Amino acid sequence: MSDVVAEKAAPPKIPSPARETGRGRWVRRLAWVALLLVLAALPLYLEAAWLKAGQYVMIGGVGAIGLTMLVGQAGQLSLAHAFFLLVGATGYTVLSGPADDERVFGLGLDPGLALVGAVLTAALLGLAFAPVAGRLRGIYLGVASLSLVFLGLYLGQSAEALTGGTSTGRTPAAFELFGFPFSNGGPEIELLGVPFRQAERTWYLFLVLTAVAFLLARGAVRGRVGRSWRAVRDNEAAATAMGVDVTRAKAGAFAVSSAYAGLAGVMTALWFDILKPDESEYGTYGINVSIAFLAMVIIGGLGSIPGALVGALIVHGLPQALALYSADLGLFGETGGSALTPALISSFVYGAAIVLVVLFEPGGLAAIGRRITSRGLSRKPPEEDPS
Amino acid sequence: MSLAPLRVENVTLTFGGIRALDDVSFTVAPGTVHALIGPNGAGKSSCFNVISGVYRATSGRVLFGDTELTRLRAHKLAKIGVGRAFQNTALSTRSTVLDNVMLGRHVLTRGGFLTDGLRLTAREERRHLARAAEICAFLGIGDVLHVPVAALPYGAAKRVDIARALAVEPTLLLLDEPAAGMNAAETAEMAATIGDLRAALGISVLLVEHDMSLVMGIADRVTVLDFGKRIADGSPAEVRSDPDVIRAYLGAEEPA
Amino acid sequence: MNTFLQLVVNGLGKGAVFALLALGFVVIFKATEVVNFAHGSLVLFGGYLVVVTRESLGWVGASLVGILSAALLALAVERLLLARARSADANSLALLTIGLDVIITEEVVRRLGVTLPFLGEAWDAQPIQIGGITLFRTHLVALAVSAVLITAFFLAFRYSDWGVAMRAQAENREAAALMGIRSSRVTATAWLVAGALAGVAVLFIATQDFSGAGLSRGTHSIALAAFPAAILGGLDSTAGAVVGGLVVGLAEALSAQYISFDFSKSAVFLVMLVVLALRPSGLFGTRESTRV
Repeated sequence: MSDVVAEKAAPPKIPSPARETGRGRWVRRLAWVALLLVLAALPLYLEAAWLKAGQYVMIGGVGAIGLTMLVGQAGQLSLAHAFFLLVGATGYTVLSGPADDERVFGLGLDPGLALVGAVLTAALLGLAFAPVAGRLRGIYLGVASLSLVFLGLYLGQSAEALTGGTSTGRTPAAFELFGFPFSNGGPEIELLGVPFRQAERTWYLFLVLTAVAFLLARGAVRGRVGRSWRAVRDNEAAATAMGVDVTRAKAGAFAVSSAYAGLAGVMTALWFDILKPDESEYGTYGINVSIAFLAMVIIGGLGSIPGALVGALIVHGLPQALALYSADLGLFGETGGSALTPALISSFVYGAAIVLVVLFEPGGLAAIGRRITSRGLSRKPPEEDPS
Repeated sequence: MSLAPLRVENVTLTFGGIRALDDVSFTVAPGTVHALIGPNGAGKSSCFNVISGVYRATSGRVLFGDTELTRLRAHKLAKIGVGRAFQNTALSTRSTVLDNVMLGRHVLTRGGFLTDGLRLTAREERRHLARAAEICAFLGIGDVLHVPVAALPYGAAKRVDIARALAVEPTLLLLDEPAAGMNAAETAEMAATIGDLRAALGISVLLVEHDMSLVMGIADRVTVLDFGKRIADGSPAEVRSDPDVIRAYLGAEEPA
Repeated sequence: MNTFLQLVVNGLGKGAVFALLALGFVVIFKATEVVNFAHGSLVLFGGYLVVVTRESLGWVGASLVGILSAALLALAVERLLLARARSADANSLALLTIGLDVIITEEVVRRLGVTLPFLGEAWDAQPIQIGGITLFRTHLVALAVSAVLITAFFLAFRYSDWGVAMRAQAENREAAALMGIRSSRVTATAWLVAGALAGVAVLFIATQDFSGAGLSRGTHSIALAAFPAAILGGLDSTAGAVVGGLVVGLAEALSAQYISFDFSKSAVFLVMLVVLALRPSGLFGTRESTRV
């Protein structure tokens, strides 16, 4: 029956359903490819410390992409992101941990498998929270989700067999894929005189993970799933009338977002090379982390996938860059309680950025970016939502 | 394509102690435009919401062919060919026209996070985009496909809402006050569009309407509600001369 | 039995402080529909001003300065930022307050450095023995002060011009405006009151008795319990805020004793989750907050 209109109505002139002009699309694609090439070449030029900083940005990017889908696309405010990071980090460490350790519990799985398992665990826990989340809206949901962070704090402290406890923590297994270790071990590799050791190898691992996370999210957001999320966000009655099962759509968004946070958690454990649960609600998996991720997605523009990456660059990149520059330039020489630290300056910057974005550009950096590129590249209207 | 009748059978709806609908029955014959009218507070919207699954009837049932709508969860209606447009154009205003209309294809397509993410659905998606564009063109909004809904005038947004309902490929289209908030010229255009729809698609249309000029011009049959009760049911001419209807409307407003 | 009684009184004492915070929170929400995530930083700011002025003004004077400055900061936030962002919806403004909270908290914590001053010297660490049970003076004073302030608030809310205007505005903003109620004055007053209540609360929180820790980032964490208190009472219910505060105080005190100290922070949130699972708008709430 899909061609009834075509048969009976006068054949209408249909403008091409292409989203943008051909030239604009190609320029855009080329820009992405160029960016990827530059990122792939960086280990040849950067010191390990800078690579490490870049990896931290990628952790932020993966987590922020997950959160922006949940908050920006599906309209579900969540402050639980840090909890799912903890789940991912713990999941990986437990699944890949040696099975014969007396102090802590481990399953001795292949690290690649453990990564997938950790991501799935986070997704399932996200799904488990969905029945609660489905009943709540807006701020109620935000504060309710905060309880997961507190629960994580408690479990991290008390489930020492899994987490290793707050005082010592436990070391995650080094990542390896098909026997190739992403550490200093294994075969010696050298390219153009640059030895590829842990920092370089992990850089590529993280780059691939981030790229996959990005492409999946972008495809999903532009497709059927993304449409159902936006429909749920904007009008549940209309979404229902169009056949969207609202409860399921919300649960799906929670699961996907949690899976992303779980992956970011795995990356966090690998990056620190230790899993160490927090002693208070501020820490590696604390409220401050949930807020930092929220800052990334607000600054980047709620719902925008590329925006999430830019937000991560600011929120996670700035403290790292400042710390490295300070070493080079001798800044932050003052120590003690009242010293201005890179982390502190970064907090000021992203705190202020949130305020400024809400006041002056609610669409975040993504909206600014769209305005610039729509002027330069194509005639695509500026305020388009799906990204 | 065989069309099924929509039968509303003895539907009663109570909120607390108030009877919003009292034993209401009528049938939308296949392929007709059926109007549900009545003065303010007569229960039109309540009836509409029972049919579309937003409210649950206290007693009675609604049948679409052999399917009992009153037993279905609201999101299942689209799947069996019931499309719905809203009075207040419940659209995603920041999204483009095409994106909104594509939502109507939800039940006709498949795909979850991974399949969409891996672009396994791209080919199917293109086919449906073309169809959505076609429907938009039919409704005269083909040249604004990539414009965000927020940038459209009200009349055009109203059409986007109807386009989205049509994108479900319904055999029964539910229209909630399609002319609400429109001036006389826009109302006339909307009436023509609804007429075109029926002619081109051969589907059944049930519309709740306040504007009598729209109803009398295009409806094949009219059901009149007052205080939750059905007070008349017949052709526009019959209903117009029905003394009960005249009395009901004189209390509220003049039939046009 | 004695332990239990002691726990209940101490829990209520803590709960009274949470009630002050939750009440401010709810007042702001009722007036503006904005959820003020910066509430914890108002607490810190008030406390910090006490620390700074205590030497020259003495404790009483410094406390008054602290309360006043928390109130003025809240007023400034409303006048200088929120009132100028009228185009943004309430949920965006809530996000804005998250940004503010980060800035204010980090700066106060930085200025405090390694000193973690206690603030409640008029009542801190002077336990009272009554019939074999030990009661903390801080909690008793907190109960009394909160009772007075909350009663005064409800009287003002019921009878004063501000209270009437405030309730009218919470009911229907447009109608209130048509009746000649100046929305900006009502809103500004709401923030002022909420800030002052936060300034009072910190005098009890940064004590040996209450938290065992002086003014620090930890104070901000403790103030966070005002969220579950306000939410479980119902965001738009002033009575709910008071009940919610007391529930949170009791839940924390009892779970710390009978389950574990580490668990007590989670317990508060779990109680809230249970309440929300049964009543999605809280115990006394009447409307659900809108989506982000």
